[in-house]
Amino acid sequence: MTAQLPPGLALHKVDERIMTLNVGPQHPGSGHMRLIVQIDGDYIVACDPDPGYVHRGEEKMAEYRNYVTNIPHLERPVIHDSCNILYPYVLGVEELLGIEVPERAKYIRVIASELNRCIYTMYWLAIYGIFLGHSTMFMWPAGDRELLIDLMEKMTGARVTHAHFVPGGVRNDLPPNFEDVCLRQVNYFEKRIKEYAAVFYDNPILVSRTRDTGVLSRQDAIGYGTTGSVLRASGVDYDLRVKEPYDVYDELDVHTNVMKEGDSYARSKVPWLDMIESCNIIRQTLQKMPKSGSVRVKLKPNPKTKGLESVYKRVESGRGSLGCYIVSDAKVEPYRVKLSVPSFRNLIALPNLLRGEKLGNMPSVYWSLNYWPVEADR
Amino acid sequence: MNTATGIIRALNSGIKHIATKRFTLRYPEEKLKFVGDGYQFDPSTGVGIAGLKGRHMLFHDHCTGCQLCSIACEGVAEAIAMVKVPEEQKQNKKSIMPQIDYGKCVFCGLCVDACPFYALYMTNDYELSSFSKEGLIYTPAQLQVKPFVAQDSEIQISDRGATHG
Repeated sequence: MTAQLPPGLALHKVDERIMTLNVGPQHPGSGHMRLIVQIDGDYIVACDPDPGYVHRGEEKMAEYRNYVTNIPHLERPVIHDSCNILYPYVLGVEELLGIEVPERAKYIRVIASELNRCIYTMYWLAIYGIFLGHSTMFMWPAGDRELLIDLMEKMTGARVTHAHFVPGGVRNDLPPNFEDVCLRQVNYFEKRIKEYAAVFYDNPILVSRTRDTGVLSRQDAIGYGTTGSVLRASGVDYDLRVKEPYDVYDELDVHTNVMKEGDSYARSKVPWLDMIESCNIIRQTLQKMPKSGSVRVKLKPNPKTKGLESVYKRVESGRGSLGCYIVSDAKVEPYRVKLSVPSFRNLIALPNLLRGEKLGNMPSVYWSLNYWPVEADR
Repeated sequence: MNTATGIIRALNSGIKHIATKRFTLRYPEEKLKFVGDGYQFDPSTGVGIAGLKGRHMLFHDHCTGCQLCSIACEGVAEAIAMVKVPEEQKQNKKSIMPQIDYGKCVFCGLCVDACPFYALYMTNDYELSSFSKEGLIYTPAQLQVKPFVAQDSEIQISDRGATHG
């Protein structure tokens, strides 16, 4: 009987004590994915994540479009972090085509990238709050995101999918008076997110729910190949903005936030600390940015490389290191675009984190991984 | 810190917000203010001018019917179709002009970047909803009209918190 069912739906053989539970794919508690959880009473025996429900074929689509037309669809996997998912692609194409980017464009990219990181993290924090039953933590980040979305709207003309980065710089210069508005709103934003400490991070109810749940040791975090906030929460000092600086990050003073515990609490606190660090970076960038100058190099229509060439670039996104491997074969379209996404890497750790946990702790462990289903499926 | 103090601190930080101003924008009555007059592109320098990427505006006297906007849209949304313009309207040599389907458009603005004749801009108009699919297809004659967009609210920050003006 089981053999005739499609592989995803095959029933699991279980003994009398153990029950198989499908969490998702429709339930918002799992995102657009399914977690096949086996429970013994209230405790999780095994967990099998089943991603792939929102696979869009982004990589295949990229093979049929030219280097510039690829931009609007490649940012779709993470619309809240659209500048960062486009960043490695744009850096890669620039290296393939041998384009030198103007200095001012590099600074504008850093501002856009840091604002996007905050916008993404606020959205994630709102979801994390609501799944722990903390309604205030849903309302506040969702409202305070607006300050930064407003800045992105002034800068790029779109609230969510910006299509702002292009090979050769950025699409348009900053609007007049942007620096002052940006500084004012970022300062207020920083003041606001520091208030979250009292209501959320120092809240004894949250601490008791997330402390010592889903502990990922330093050894395991490195062994599984996790990145970003998950890796930094396990005590590994690793941030691509510091270790492999791209664009102008080497001229900026970036502090890496590391926590040693490796539990859900640490994993949820590191992105918040990163947001405060992002505010610092934006302030430095606004200070050091050249006040005028070109922001975009004019490209030939339908640019292409001379022969078979390949490039791999990676950046630190809101979730971790995000890589893009591009192979070009002297045509106007790339031969292959491969996105190496942090969400998928972080998901690998999930079965081990959940083993032995209570089912009630599943949302706090699962969402603390900073997982974005659409990006993992791409 | 013990549990009781922590809970009191958490409650206190929420209670403080009773005194802060309302942040929410009352949307249909109030509308956001945008920077500039919409997204525009200067082909001579190859750099855009910042602004909201909303509904397009087509300048009939600049459009030559070269189809570059349509080609730019091919890999993105296929929203732009080149259609024959009626006899009584302003013509170009090929007598074709872009018609945009806002059911497909993703508002990336690559068509504006592609236009070398200053004929296609994007305006601040973002309220494009319609009761029918046909209502979302804007003909060259409709695209010619400059929309009126009410803009009154901007984020203002004071000691009592941020508010939409």
